[in-house]
Amino acid sequence: MYHALWQSVLGEIELTVPHATFTTWFKNTELVDQNDAGVVISVANIFAKKQFEVKFDDQIKSILSKQGINPKQISYIVSTSNKNTRSNRETTINSSSQVTADDLISTSPRYQSQPVTASVGGLNPRYTFDNFIVGSSNDLAYTASRAVAANPGIKYNPIYLYGGVGLGKTHLMQAIGNEIIKNDPKMRVLYISSETFVNEFLEYIRFKKKGFSEKYRNVDVLIIDDMQFIAGKEKTQEEFFHTFNHLHQNNKQIIICSDKPPKSIPTLTERLRSRFEMGMAIDIQMPDFETRCAILNIKASLSGVTLRKDTIEYLATNIKTNIRELEGALNRLLAYAEMRGVEPDISTAEGLLGNIRQSRPQHLSSKQIIDRTAKHFQLDVSEICSEKRDKYIVVPRQIAMYLLRSELHLSFPKIANELGRKDHTTAIHSIEKIEKAIKLDFLIREQVSSIREKLYA
Amino acid sequence: MELTVTQENLNHALSAVSRVANTKTQLPILSNILLRTDGNRLLVAATNLEIAITQYIGAKITKPGAITIPARLMSEFISSLPKESVELKVINDNLHIKSGTYNSVINGYIADEFPELPTINESSSIQYSIKVEDFKKAVSQTIITTSSDSTRPVLTGVYWHSYNNQLYLAATDGYRLSERRLVGTKSDVSVIIPTQTLQEVMRNIIDDSSEVDILFDETQVRFRINDAEIISRLIDGNFPDYRQLVPKVSETTVTLNKLDFVRITKIAGLFARESGGSVTLTADSNKGVLSVHSIASQMGENTSEAKAKVTADGQITLNSRYLSEALSVIDGENVEFSFSGKIAPCILKSTDPKTDYYHIIMPLKS
Repeated sequence: MYHALWQSVLGEIELTVPHATFTTWFKNTELVDQNDAGVVISVANIFAKKQFEVKFDDQIKSILSKQGINPKQISYIVSTSNKNTRSNRETTINSSSQVTADDLISTSPRYQSQPVTASVGGLNPRYTFDNFIVGSSNDLAYTASRAVAANPGIKYNPIYLYGGVGLGKTHLMQAIGNEIIKNDPKMRVLYISSETFVNEFLEYIRFKKKGFSEKYRNVDVLIIDDMQFIAGKEKTQEEFFHTFNHLHQNNKQIIICSDKPPKSIPTLTERLRSRFEMGMAIDIQMPDFETRCAILNIKASLSGVTLRKDTIEYLATNIKTNIRELEGALNRLLAYAEMRGVEPDISTAEGLLGNIRQSRPQHLSSKQIIDRTAKHFQLDVSEICSEKRDKYIVVPRQIAMYLLRSELHLSFPKIANELGRKDHTTAIHSIEKIEKAIKLDFLIREQVSSIREKLYA
Repeated sequence: MELTVTQENLNHALSAVSRVANTKTQLPILSNILLRTDGNRLLVAATNLEIAITQYIGAKITKPGAITIPARLMSEFISSLPKESVELKVINDNLHIKSGTYNSVINGYIADEFPELPTINESSSIQYSIKVEDFKKAVSQTIITTSSDSTRPVLTGVYWHSYNNQLYLAATDGYRLSERRLVGTKSDVSVIIPTQTLQEVMRNIIDDSSEVDILFDETQVRFRINDAEIISRLIDGNFPDYRQLVPKVSETTVTLNKLDFVRITKIAGLFARESGGSVTLTADSNKGVLSVHSIASQMGENTSEAKAKVTADGQITLNSRYLSEALSVIDGENVEFSFSGKIAPCILKSTDPKTDYYHIIMPLKS
């Protein structure tokens, strides 16, 4: 009733006190009564009550008087408004004879129906197709996801997305879920991480909790994030296998993502692996330079800022590893510019990103690269640099050459020399070979990026 | 502010209050503690806006005043000092601390920003003075069955309430329940005190405390022990009407020595780790024994027996951890353990009626 009046008071107070103070004390306050005797304001707890009485009383009085209200006194009460509604719903005693340990005091219908009807199914509405930025690296994944969202359960079932951290797997999966709900709000979509699945399964076994199979089998779309965590957990895999079959049999859509393709998860049982591969498995790669620029442009404009082209390019050139880091750098730049009241231009970015880049070793030597590569393949440095031409040595040697070129920009003769080759054409050939392989062979790509990560770790 | 205190007193006060000073908060000043002169005493206080702990210590005050300083640094610094007198002096919002050859300056923040500590109107509140031993016993017997599930806030505390002119403490997490009668009362009481508050009160009880003063109204509670004062919010909501859950009659009642019961439960628990602590108890009225059986499919199995008075044959499956915890807080030499079939709750209590306590555990489905 007095909501509008109180809002205007809050609006004025917000301008005069620090933000943290405002959110701490003024959140969940309300003007509940106003009459001749005075004004009654409900506050969050006893600490807030005292704080209002001592610190904010005069200020509130003077603001109210500006609105033409001159209360004789203001009294503050601790809000217990939800007491009645809550007690009715929250705790009812279950006296039925069907008792499990959980039923001693069972909670409301709300609690029980939560797993399936949580209408958004654990989805974050922020993730949509509209704000997913498409580039050549994720084009295929995006198109397939759109197709799935348009015809759930019919096209590409299951769809299996894989790729490194921070490349948008979760975003895409959630976008599919959100889109499906948008098209048909009756669809039951469930989004969980495989870890949740494992934990709930363990609880189900241990405490004989009911509703486990129902929860996962009564959905139209099941989205499982970070599937790799299920690896090595035999019983869980078996349960998941049955869930999978049940859903697939009934033409329910299954969406899975993981950091590796099914083949590369070592402890995945054969029957699951083959099932994951039967729909569509698509990888999402590192965005290229143009995509990174596009991402930065869009993110910046979402924050209401337009950045100059050279600034964007500077950021995109310097941060290559993943999108989260890219966003982090952008946010840092914008926050810094706002705080200091400077332009978020290239010189500011350089000053700031100096920090980001400093966290990496400044002097990467060719020796370090060769050592790391050898270590990764569990070879000896002398083997890599030897004359041997066994396949298990050749590929690591070629990768080492590739890395010397890509990370240190060494000349071909120098690279050949580093690895004990006489002829620089060997280096040219090797590097070309790996460059090609990276585009085609997931295993090689993964190995290269994992060595690279270790180099900069 | 300028004053002198002993290191021991200050250290005690700081360690008592600084635990609630929290660095992970929206309001940065909450990671500070408040130092304020109060007559010829020094008040040391901290709060996290759910609970506030205040400790008074004697001091030689040269100049009154107040300041707030980072809790962690201050308490760690003071605890490293030798047991001598400590001089505290505020100059330009900085606290200068001097003790023997140790000098330091800690950047403070003006005390005005520190939240006002809630006060409680003594005339309109309900008050109890409870012997420390009784308080400790009753709280430790009930606090173990509180829930930590924040989706059901009313279960995350101990329910203090009057019933037939007696003050009772009760707590349940949905799997087990405990109730303890504390003292007679004429007032009508029904409040839920948060678990954390009670834990802090228990920590503040020192050897020479004799009584705990408790004062509450509808929204807050204050505990006073010696020179410490703990003020906390109460949990908003209605505690479930648990009394109707307490089994009135039981088919099987087993009476046995508590230590025997503890031992066979503990042994069976070793073999129950795989099955989530599930152990099966069988009462045999002919042989007069209670046996506990548990299976670890990979390791082996165990059956242990204890002599007991058994009224009728019966079997029930329980979580061994819950059982051990219940037995650990039940007083007296002998325990009475009653249940009816496999699905009804079982009840445990001492054979000594003066202990005023019972503990209920829900069986596991076997």
